[in-house]
Amino acid sequence: MAAMPESGLDPTQLALLDAITSRLVPSGSDGLGAHEAKVSRYIDLALTDDYRSLLPLYIEGLADLDAVAVARYERGFLELAPDEQDGLLAATEAGEEGLPLQTFFELVLRHTREGMFGDPVWGGNDAYTGWRLLSYPGPRYEWTAEEQQLDFAIEPRYGDRGER
Amino acid sequence: MSERMRETEVVLIGIGAAGGIAAQVLTAAGIEVVALEAGPRLDPKPFLLDEVRNDVRSYMSRPKSTGELPSWRFDASEKAGASPYPLLMVNAVGGTSVHYDCWSFRFQPWNFRGRSASIERYGAGSIPAGSTIADWPLSYEELAPAYDAVEYAIGIAGAACNIDGVRGDEGNWFEAPRSRGFPMPPQRMTGWNEMIAGAARRLGWHPYQSPVALNTQPYNGNGVCTYCGFCASGTCPQNAKSSTNLTTIPIAEATGLLRIETGARVTRIEVGVDGRVTGVTYIQDGTERFQPAKVVLLGAFVYENARLLLPSKSRAYPDGLSNNHGQVGKHYMLHMTPHAYGLFPGRRLNRFNGAPGQVLSLDDWNADNFDHSGLGFIGGAMLSSMHELKPIQVTSLPLPPGVPRWGAGWKDWIAKNANSIGTVNAQMEVLAYEHNVLDLDPEKRDPYGEPVIRITHKLGENEQRGWAFMEARLQEWLREAGASEVWTRGRVHLDGRHAYGGTRMGNDPETSVVDKWGFSHEAPNLGVIGSSVYPTTGGCNPTLTLQALAWRTAEHLVADWKTRAG
Repeated sequence: MAAMPESGLDPTQLALLDAITSRLVPSGSDGLGAHEAKVSRYIDLALTDDYRSLLPLYIEGLADLDAVAVARYERGFLELAPDEQDGLLAATEAGEEGLPLQTFFELVLRHTREGMFGDPVWGGNDAYTGWRLLSYPGPRYEWTAEEQQLDFAIEPRYGDRGER
Repeated sequence: MSERMRETEVVLIGIGAAGGIAAQVLTAAGIEVVALEAGPRLDPKPFLLDEVRNDVRSYMSRPKSTGELPSWRFDASEKAGASPYPLLMVNAVGGTSVHYDCWSFRFQPWNFRGRSASIERYGAGSIPAGSTIADWPLSYEELAPAYDAVEYAIGIAGAACNIDGVRGDEGNWFEAPRSRGFPMPPQRMTGWNEMIAGAARRLGWHPYQSPVALNTQPYNGNGVCTYCGFCASGTCPQNAKSSTNLTTIPIAEATGLLRIETGARVTRIEVGVDGRVTGVTYIQDGTERFQPAKVVLLGAFVYENARLLLPSKSRAYPDGLSNNHGQVGKHYMLHMTPHAYGLFPGRRLNRFNGAPGQVLSLDDWNADNFDHSGLGFIGGAMLSSMHELKPIQVTSLPLPPGVPRWGAGWKDWIAKNANSIGTVNAQMEVLAYEHNVLDLDPEKRDPYGEPVIRITHKLGENEQRGWAFMEARLQEWLREAGASEVWTRGRVHLDGRHAYGGTRMGNDPETSVVDKWGFSHEAPNLGVIGSSVYPTTGGCNPTLTLQALAWRTAEHLVADWKTRAG
């Protein structure tokens, strides 16, 4: 296998991505958000691997989004207040900043769900943050009849990914 | 100049869900088979309980997902682009039967004669303008013995209702007569399925735990399902899925008559001056080889069957092999898949566990099991409810009106409700139309330089009315089950993984490519297996029927060997 770069995005881009994904799934009072799940790390690793072809799109999208922040508020995205960040993201989602940025928003939203709720081996869902948020008890090789009954409360048991 | 291999009796292009069945029948009869498979033999071990790897990034279908998928356009006036609907093909020994959910339904007898039965009951006006819907050249009764043979060869778990016309208390009330029960009892019932079954019964419908190719007892020396819930897009950690690579293919290989060449990409089917096929050209390890054979069985996926015939041009077939009547690529169809979602606040539905094979379904709205008078459409759908709803999947579902898609509002909603969302779905029949076709994309090429298939497909009014009708039934079902709120995707959704047509089966060479046995009307020693031969989609999963047809095609070849092999 060819040597892969350790990181697809530089530290500034990563900080911006962390800020964006943290608005998509905020930490809130329970501390179960995209920042804690290390969603930006998930995306960054994917951009050096299976999503390699999307790296230019990310670099451009992040720069454009930051430029929109400067145009609207005369400050970069990281300097905005949370509700200003939300407003800017909502405008992007609605297509007010053009189709390429709208497409970029949808891509980040999709990858955020993956990094939030996928197996931690891919770099996200750190400390099972996403699974704890959903009260998902983790994958198992075997489920009993009792565990398939309605309203049965299943105790979480994480780490069973299936290596044998 | 390609390297010439030693001649064989039958060359099989692709050894998947269909080819794996044909290989067993042929080798059992003493016929020598070489299978050229573009994919590898999959090692089951890498397919872990990992939603990112299996479902999101489709590791299994990667060879196909990187550049070989068809392009899509709705109308012949458009330039084709990426498909808005799921397309998936698997290159591997076992093919799509390795990754599938194992739902294994027989078609309803009506499905084999939908055109004439609709005209008889509703008049000629019930056939939509432009539709090329045709009766199958064979009846349910003619296919029934092959259904039975396949169910026992691969191993199906289910409950029978109708044995030789005598109805019992279990299974599908609408089941067509079968000669005996299933080889294994059905999958375990679950709390969610009990709840949704109760609602269906209150509505007067006939739900039942459905037949699946998923072992509930040891079968073929393979393991038993433990309900882990990672069937889709993965191999089975227990080897409990009755994929052909675990069932019929090992039996065929044990005869010593089947040789499988993996990584062998067939590029052309070759033809002699007499119009008979002589073998196939393929590329393996960068070397071009020619495999001569007495008979060629084409058993790739729907899109790839057309993609191999069209460029296989010769003096006898200037427009592509078996295409002298312009029928290759015609009558393309795919399923519509309406879904409905319901919220059961405060309930733990526990649907993230369990196999998709723990499927509860009903045929009350399938085929012509209900009166279509005044509805404005013909055709039907099986309605189902299932397990396997994993974390990325559940957080990617459509949301009810008013719930934000992200941010604190979304987070609160999904944290509260992720285990309280019930879903039901339908597989709605789509008719064939003159304008819905497959051809070679004039621009897009795969990484090997060959054109990909271009899909041109637009829904008819028949289909749009059928969609709305089935969506209403699904919502009715969830409301009866006690959902506080019910919602849908909001727009028509198609599923190109359930694909049909392109090499239609029929009695008339002017309107079909292969005969009732699956052999070309034009090249007598060329057979086609797979759902590319279906004249109609049916309202349920395609695999069992295409396996029964492959069984029948292979049996016919054995019986008719001297004529076919020349």
